[in-house]
Amino acid sequence: MEHFIGGTVMLFGDPQAILIFALGLVGGMLFGAIPGVNMLTLGAVLLPFTINMDASHAVMLFSVIYCAGVFGGAITAILFNIPGAPENAPTCFDGYPMTLKGQSGKAIGAAVSCSALGGVASAILMMTATGAIAGWAVRAFGPQEIFALIFFGLAVSASIGAKTLWKGWLSVFVGLIIATIGTDPVGGVPRFNEGSVFGLEYHSYYLSAGIHFIPMILGFFAVSEVITQAMSIAEGTRERPKAGLEFPTLAEFWSVRVTMVRSIFIGFFAGILPGIGATLAAFLGYSQAHRASKNRRNFGKGELEGVVASETANNAATGAAMIPLLALGLPGGALTAMIMGIFQIHGMEPGPLIFINSSDLVWVTFAAMFWANLCIVFLGWLQTKTVVHILRVPFRWLAPGILLLATIGAYALRNLVIDVWVMFLAGIAGYLLRKTGYSAAGIVLGLILGKLGESAFSKSMQLMDYDFLGFFQRPIAAGLLILAVIVIATSIINEIRDTDFQKALMD
Amino acid sequence: MTSFFRNTAAAAGFAAVVALAGTAGAAELEKPAGFGNRPLTMIVPFGAGGGSDQLARAMAKAMEEVAGITFQVVNKPGGGGTAAIPDFMLAPPDGYTVLEHIDNAISAYAAGDIRENPAEDWVPLCMTQITFSQIYIRSDEDRFTDWESFSEYAKAHPGDVTMANLGKVGSMELVVMEQLQEALGLKIKQIAFDKPAERYGALIGGHVDVLFEQPGDVRNFLDADQMKPILTFLSERPSAFADTPTHKEVGADFEALTRFRGFWVKAGVPKDRTDFLAAACKAGFETADYQAFNKKKYMHLIDSFRDTEGSIELINNAVASYREMYKKLGIGK
Repeated sequence: MEHFIGGTVMLFGDPQAILIFALGLVGGMLFGAIPGVNMLTLGAVLLPFTINMDASHAVMLFSVIYCAGVFGGAITAILFNIPGAPENAPTCFDGYPMTLKGQSGKAIGAAVSCSALGGVASAILMMTATGAIAGWAVRAFGPQEIFALIFFGLAVSASIGAKTLWKGWLSVFVGLIIATIGTDPVGGVPRFNEGSVFGLEYHSYYLSAGIHFIPMILGFFAVSEVITQAMSIAEGTRERPKAGLEFPTLAEFWSVRVTMVRSIFIGFFAGILPGIGATLAAFLGYSQAHRASKNRRNFGKGELEGVVASETANNAATGAAMIPLLALGLPGGALTAMIMGIFQIHGMEPGPLIFINSSDLVWVTFAAMFWANLCIVFLGWLQTKTVVHILRVPFRWLAPGILLLATIGAYALRNLVIDVWVMFLAGIAGYLLRKTGYSAAGIVLGLILGKLGESAFSKSMQLMDYDFLGFFQRPIAAGLLILAVIVIATSIINEIRDTDFQKALMD
Repeated sequence: MTSFFRNTAAAAGFAAVVALAGTAGAAELEKPAGFGNRPLTMIVPFGAGGGSDQLARAMAKAMEEVAGITFQVVNKPGGGGTAAIPDFMLAPPDGYTVLEHIDNAISAYAAGDIRENPAEDWVPLCMTQITFSQIYIRSDEDRFTDWESFSEYAKAHPGDVTMANLGKVGSMELVVMEQLQEALGLKIKQIAFDKPAERYGALIGGHVDVLFEQPGDVRNFLDADQMKPILTFLSERPSAFADTPTHKEVGADFEALTRFRGFWVKAGVPKDRTDFLAAACKAGFETADYQAFNKKKYMHLIDSFRDTEGSIELINNAVASYREMYKKLGIGK
């Protein structure tokens, strides 16, 4: 506690630190909230400047950008069906339908409060338990457990955003197949980078880089949304979403308290495991809420609980992701890898010694993340009152801007032009998917989990001498795999029962 | 436009002035006519924050200081360093595009994974980091504590001992381990990991027994006494690891491949510009800031600098060694 107070005093007793804190907060929110660019774009732009900054300021800046960026992306997800960052993709499922119903204020209000809640809870857990948790997670979760967790994630999320379970699974499988493009995680063998299509020989170094999920998300959500809206304007069927300004009531929050707590735990746990991170946390939080909810039928049609589940989980992952980074020097995602780079640029290495050698830096960072999450409540409330008015801007003016920013965002990710192609192809595909009841989110999830899962699976098999039953000699892995199978079986039984029931109604 | 520059530059035809080394703000190198008045691009084929990225930014800063040019560092990660190659090859050969790359470009060329020869299609300006590999164990490991006890343990449990390593077929890491195992009759199971952080986590978390890595990358774990080296792949013991035996001392008689990083321009860049950039690289390497950076990464233990000629020699030797090994192992095209 005295460490935390010390960190806070250092943070707010230094005008320069306050300025950097404020800039990080506003910058993260803005970059998160502009469709197409996200906090990674801002991080990449700022990284070279951190060389000349004080190390604690630089690390603090990026941590604050992280918290604010994960929140900021919820705004455009809710207003335009365009997630500002991958972490916010599941927020679209119910956030955007709420906007269409004229409840944009409610949805954003819920996102603000839940992001802050998840973030603060995560920051507190991070401060109390970094050392202990990091050590436990890295010991308890080897490649086998990570694979089992990813398999479980696939099992519970398979039907996200699809009309039927079968279409959901098909979407995920398409994602898994796309994940195989690129360099294989074991032998480094490039796959699908050369060959012939319709008799045309091709050889591409770009394809050896693989298909990244961020341009896919930009295409599926931003570009295809623009196409969809343009079509409806052309057909004269477009209803302009109404700007709503009312905040969710306390009673509404109280009714989803279980979902909030569940999402905090899911997000925190997903954040601790290196490589899993906030994006998966949001998907898992959403799908678990969907499974457990009494209003399951309303999910995807503008259910507040869906927004709450996703936004609590992704911010709950932010503090947790700092744990393996600081305590072990193991970054779990792109932004935490940048923070790792900042440490190294300043001649420090994150790891167990960081708490002894750079205790000040760690606690300024912790304090900054805590206060950044609290500030989100206030700033987010301001945003709620102002940003919904963007809805009044005619879409034909917004659309070119969205496409422009999405293109910049897709390219800025890896500075590879393939990402721009992928984005536009995914945009066209996404438009067609929406019409057919297949799930763009399922494809994205398949792509993310396919890459992580293949890597974990191959390492597990090597460690276990290619004996699949080895998974069942490890309690955590076995438990997760068995749970996953149960989840898949029950969802199939439910689906069959539902279709039979509907058939009976039809007859 | 560029041909105009090339003609004037060729007409000018002067060699770059050698900078006064070691002092910041030393006399700047003289730029070739019509060159260096706009920012140069430095392509890094790996992600922001990693070892290559840090090197590129440190070197860019040092070269800016000594040569009065400015760099924009651009990361183009993907495909294990291959995804950035087309953009580098598409850039005009005017000296405004510099590529940072590492020795895996050389092994990829030797294996036939990439088509560009790093010693001919690219002109190496300099190599500024050369380092050796080591085998690490957990500091609190009780089954073995040094190379001797480890090799006994490995012989008693053939094929059960696991090593976290890079899995790329024909990589420096796997070739070195192959040579070691062949020389000493050991069987160590290589587990392919794709991300460095996962390799370190796997060793610390007890999911593998040993780790193959370069000291600069695991410095924080060494300083925190979480890992310790038991074997150094180098002909002589470096001063910083005086207590760790080398592979030759334990009976493996081969020249171990090294990890090196450096900077290239495309073939076809006017010679005065290449010479100028190479001189800037050398002068940058000698600045106090860059030396301090290399020291932090344990890159000062062996001679870490090669000029253009030295780089070409280093690359060609590496290609020859890799091809010889590939023939033995039956990999590559």
